[in-house]
Amino acid sequence: MEHANKNYPFTAIVGQEKMKTALILNIINPLLGGVLIRGEKGTAKSTAVRALAELLPEWEQVEGCVFGCDPADTGLMCSSCAEKKNKGTKLDVILSKMKVIDLPVSATEDRVVGTLDIEHAIKKGEKKFEPGILAQANRNILYVDEVNLLDDHVVDVLLDSAAMGVNNIEREGVSFSHPARFILVGTMNPEEGDLRPQLLDRFGLVVDVAGEKDVAKRVEVIRRRLEFENDPAAFSQNYEELQKELCDKISGAEQMLRQVRYNDKILELAAKISIEMGVDGHRADIGMIKTAMTIAAYNSREDVRESDMLEAAELVLPHRMRRRPFEEGIMDFTKVEEIIGDAGSGR
Amino acid sequence: MKNIVFPFPAVLGQEKIKKALMWNVVNPRIGGLLISGEKGTAKSTLVRGLAAMIDDLEVVELPLNTTEDRLVGAIDLESAIKHGIKRFEVGILKKAHGNMLYVDEVNLLSDHIVNSLLEVAASGVNVVEREGISCRHPSRFVLVGSMNPEEGKLRAQFLDRFGLYVEVKGEEDTRERAEIIRRRLEFERDPKAYVNKWAKETIAENKRIKCAREALKNVVVTDNAMQLAASIAKEGNCAGHRAELVIVETAKAIVALDGRIALNAKDIREAAEYALPHRIRDIPDEPLSQPPEQEPLEEEQQEEQQQTNDNSPTETEDNSDDGQQLQDNPPSEPESQAEGEQQKDSEDILPQDKPEAPDQSNADGNDDEQIDEPGQIFMVKPWIMDDQERILRKGSGKRSLVKTSSMQGRYVKYKFPRESSIQDIAFDATLRAAAPFQRSRDKNGMAVALQTGDIRLKVREKRTGNTILFVVDASGSMGANKRMKAVKGAILSLLTDAYQKRDKVGLIAFRKKSAELLLGITRSVELAQKRLQDMPTGGRTPLAEGLNMAYDVLKAAKVKDPDIIPVVVLVSDGRANFACSGLNAFDEAVKAAGKFAAEGIKSIVINTDCDFIRLDLADKIADAMHADHFRIEDLEAESIVTALSMSV
Repeated sequence: MEHANKNYPFTAIVGQEKMKTALILNIINPLLGGVLIRGEKGTAKSTAVRALAELLPEWEQVEGCVFGCDPADTGLMCSSCAEKKNKGTKLDVILSKMKVIDLPVSATEDRVVGTLDIEHAIKKGEKKFEPGILAQANRNILYVDEVNLLDDHVVDVLLDSAAMGVNNIEREGVSFSHPARFILVGTMNPEEGDLRPQLLDRFGLVVDVAGEKDVAKRVEVIRRRLEFENDPAAFSQNYEELQKELCDKISGAEQMLRQVRYNDKILELAAKISIEMGVDGHRADIGMIKTAMTIAAYNSREDVRESDMLEAAELVLPHRMRRRPFEEGIMDFTKVEEIIGDAGSGR
Repeated sequence: MKNIVFPFPAVLGQEKIKKALMWNVVNPRIGGLLISGEKGTAKSTLVRGLAAMIDDLEVVELPLNTTEDRLVGAIDLESAIKHGIKRFEVGILKKAHGNMLYVDEVNLLSDHIVNSLLEVAASGVNVVEREGISCRHPSRFVLVGSMNPEEGKLRAQFLDRFGLYVEVKGEEDTRERAEIIRRRLEFERDPKAYVNKWAKETIAENKRIKCAREALKNVVVTDNAMQLAASIAKEGNCAGHRAELVIVETAKAIVALDGRIALNAKDIREAAEYALPHRIRDIPDEPLSQPPEQEPLEEEQQEEQQQTNDNSPTETEDNSDDGQQLQDNPPSEPESQAEGEQQKDSEDILPQDKPEAPDQSNADGNDDEQIDEPGQIFMVKPWIMDDQERILRKGSGKRSLVKTSSMQGRYVKYKFPRESSIQDIAFDATLRAAAPFQRSRDKNGMAVALQTGDIRLKVREKRTGNTILFVVDASGSMGANKRMKAVKGAILSLLTDAYQKRDKVGLIAFRKKSAELLLGITRSVELAQKRLQDMPTGGRTPLAEGLNMAYDVLKAAKVKDPDIIPVVVLVSDGRANFACSGLNAFDEAVKAAGKFAAEGIKSIVINTDCDFIRLDLADKIADAMHADHFRIEDLEAESIVTALSMSV
């Protein structure tokens, strides 16, 4: 980690447990589909996302590949890496940390999806694809602050590639396709306008954050923040051990995840919750199970329990309740508890 | 790059999409498929799975970021610069020839691209005349689109291009759902192994489709079958003849896939279920909530089968007559015709019965406040009419196309610079323009030399909604007879529409002695909905105050962003009875209304007056504003196209 721009340590964030858990779960299992953090200003939303950078694991990557291809995964490789591999050329592998890539709200569509490399075209008279933000985001975290303010066009293309993990470009004389599988992390302040349901559904998890109500905790927030601003390096040093612990816990959970099992009861429970709660489509069911599995792994367990399902439902369901655009989507959480309770006692 | 996709046969349920897709592969003349449905229902999974399953079928994707040059093709830049040869570089339309063209989120596709696509889809030939290239090539493809209707609709012309239409929903059965999760997780754990596991089924399906393709030409279509198809299409009041053609072609595919030769009435009926839903046009005067045709159709068919050649008497050429008669048939909808018949020469009126609305005309106490729940939300028809060069609502998620110089929005094609100032250069187009001349130009060490004449600019399409300011009468007279309930329902419907069009909204309520800005101009339509919900009614009607405030708010907004298109929507019965100035309240209101007319601000008046004796005061206000005026019941959409998307 460079010292020039020190991030506030993740473990030093006071409270906001749900948000922290949601972020960590996504690192453990990148297939969860990202997280949307909704909440008022000044609730450590951005701080938490940026702080995440230090906790991120290291990946094997093909050296020099703009898309950071996984040398082992031929299924999701960019064309040049795949070609090399097919020819039997050895791919140079480096270890590199997963990154948080920013997608600024002002980003234009061509910068997001990539475009014709003008310089190359003028100097060499050849067409070359200039990768955009989605290329960088492959296998990384794509972070959109104020995601509800994003230009509609950008949202459309974002949806397009988030859906299939591939970015297809057919523009400005360039025809190109590259892997773009990323963890989408968005933060927003709901007062500034809402998010289109289609994009909302793309987020695997959603957490709503609010400022701490407890005075002592609020004081602690201020105290730490001031201390950090006073001497970031020293402050971070204090948390080094905690950070390390969390890192280890995350990588342990990653290993564990492969062993986590669930039984048919759990599967049916997920289906039942979705039906009873009236959610659209099947993404919620699948997300619930995956999240519950990740929660189990994070707690160093190999079996998924009902309590994991409850926790998962809380993260997966709130934004998926079926409703017309303006009906109040009231999430009746006691109902989920009941369904889970019934299943538990039924045994 | 090839992505490993979820195997087609492993998708549980969704039989309708599966069938419709396979029929299209068996018989490309069906003309494609539009899949509409909620999120997360394996729409794109199936299309991609199909491509992986059929070995000689390619699914060419049309991403949303496509620019025109890539769609139709353009001059080959490299060969022009390096060798001075003008060569045509093929675009997506060429690649799609003989294949399947897939557009995910098709309702979000840019308008320019849709236009080009429609042209080619209609003629089957792509004619390219651009950048010094003159070329034509056949381009026949099976067009498959998927969309979520929440995000906006397709225009009818585009809709008609899709042979079949399927609406999807999630599975409702617990066990099935559990199985879906299980399969998906297993796939994600090890995609390759999972694909292998299903290899046998995949190969078998592939073979079945291949056989069906062969068998297709042997399928016999009798005159009877054709007549049945035609009569069904006519029953649905479909435009043109595409519907019956699609029905017949689809039925042929059904038979072929079944391994049969003879086509029977059942096949035609099944085909019609897929070919008609998006083509049925509403018959004028038909009650909206009538379910799409199924029942009467069934009868019709039986009749048809028995008396082969005799066209039943209901099928006269005249649509409106037809509608009249049809309407008498279904006993379902109790109609309060008495309510609905009035005014509006050209407008079709939808009789909408609101049992609570009529006839308790003596209002309750006027001064006590009440908060009404909003009434039913409905789909609205195009209600913001377009008077200038702007284009009337074109279905998909935008109301107005603003050609802005702000360099925002999606780059869709290029244009020649007209003004002297050159901004927002389309580099690719500029390079293509310059390319053929490179051999003869002095290049100064560069590979390409550009001259002023080469320069092309970007044409961008920005989806800008209007800025809609609702000015709502919340006086006591509105509270009477639960009228506010209907009004809130109507406004909510308009807000829903506004959401899809990405409009900005604001809300002003006036009652008692003043107007109140409940919500400043915002993108959060949701917030507007909340404010509206809690809006109390009661007190007098300071109409002029409401209008004056609206005028000020819009003025201020216009200063902030000159690009906005303001629209003011006045919801009132026009019975002004209070003015701060102390002058005649109604005259003051007319005066305030005149300001909008003077400024040319687009305005709409929704007249809520539904008393037994109508005073038409709101209409007078509307005249002063130069506004379009509606009654609440006029706002409901009558077109089946809109009704379709709400039946999800």
